[in-house]
Amino acid sequence: MLPQTKVDYASVSAGRRPTFSWRPIIKDCLYFIALAILLGGLLNYSLLRNAFSGTLIPRIQQNQVVILKAKAKQLYGVTVIEFASAKQLYDEKNAVFIDARNAQEYEAGHISGAINVPDREFLMGEIDPGKILPNKDSVLITYCDGGECELALDVAKGLSERGYTDVFVLVEGYQGWEAAGYPVDK
Amino acid sequence: MKFLNNDYIHLIIRLLIGAIFVYSAVPHVLNAMGLASSIYNYRLFPSSIIGMSAAVIPWITLLSGLALILGVKVRAASLIISISLVIFICLAVISMIRGLDIDCGCFVGIIRKANWIAVSEDFLLLLGSLFTFFFDRTRISLVLLIKKLVFHNKNYKGALS
Repeated sequence: MLPQTKVDYASVSAGRRPTFSWRPIIKDCLYFIALAILLGGLLNYSLLRNAFSGTLIPRIQQNQVVILKAKAKQLYGVTVIEFASAKQLYDEKNAVFIDARNAQEYEAGHISGAINVPDREFLMGEIDPGKILPNKDSVLITYCDGGECELALDVAKGLSERGYTDVFVLVEGYQGWEAAGYPVDK
Repeated sequence: MKFLNNDYIHLIIRLLIGAIFVYSAVPHVLNAMGLASSIYNYRLFPSSIIGMSAAVIPWITLLSGLALILGVKVRAASLIISISLVIFICLAVISMIRGLDIDCGCFVGIIRKANWIAVSEDFLLLLGSLFTFFFDRTRISLVLLIKKLVFHNKNYKGALS
């Protein structure tokens, strides 16, 4: 049971702090939460329906891919590769996959055979792409985590600026690749 | 420690935190799907939790922020804001430990990564909301002013948090 005391109005009028009591505070918090559940539930009925039917996450992933594709074109000026085309190039061993995430994330799991070129080190000039990727005509596919991750866009832009001609971005990222059941190294 | 009992310092901190939370909540209220996307990026929660959080959290923060600005139920609003800040700090720290490079999803249109800077800023906000919680002395507020003007209410009764 929470202790209950009356609000000390006399203290407030005299300029002192009122007596502290938890029970009315908790009660008010519950009112706030109840009102928020009511308003949020009523106004986001379709979102909640998707959430409980399991279709929310695929919708989010779809939206994120659309947004990232638009960003790739408008902000970074890089070309996005379709997921199926990337897999075809992977199977034919005609492309080099570049993981733009940090070393920790790369080691936790990456597309099988991908090279790690962390975005930060690459942009700081700590990594010389010429040493890792001597052939400037080879097909390069950069990726990061998927979702709203923009590291792959950064690296793709940087590689294009350094003279690599066939640079593409796989916006579905590692999460999309792994979810599709394609080869990964862990 | 005289400043702890200063009405004007309390008012400024209260208005500042309230304004930040209202500013943060309004775009999320209007676009809950965007917030759901940000919550999904933390890769910690199932679909049902993401949906519930995206639908309800913006309203909780909006109501709490408005309460702080208006000076009603200040302690309850401060407590809710403090708890939500603690949750966010934990989420940001977990994301950093996991090496995720994600936007915290706090503000729409402002890139704010879930990193130590965001954690420090939230810690400062947490200190502010704890201050308004523990040193609540809401003697200057819009509601009290209206009560005073309309009802000539001088004993502040009924408008206290």
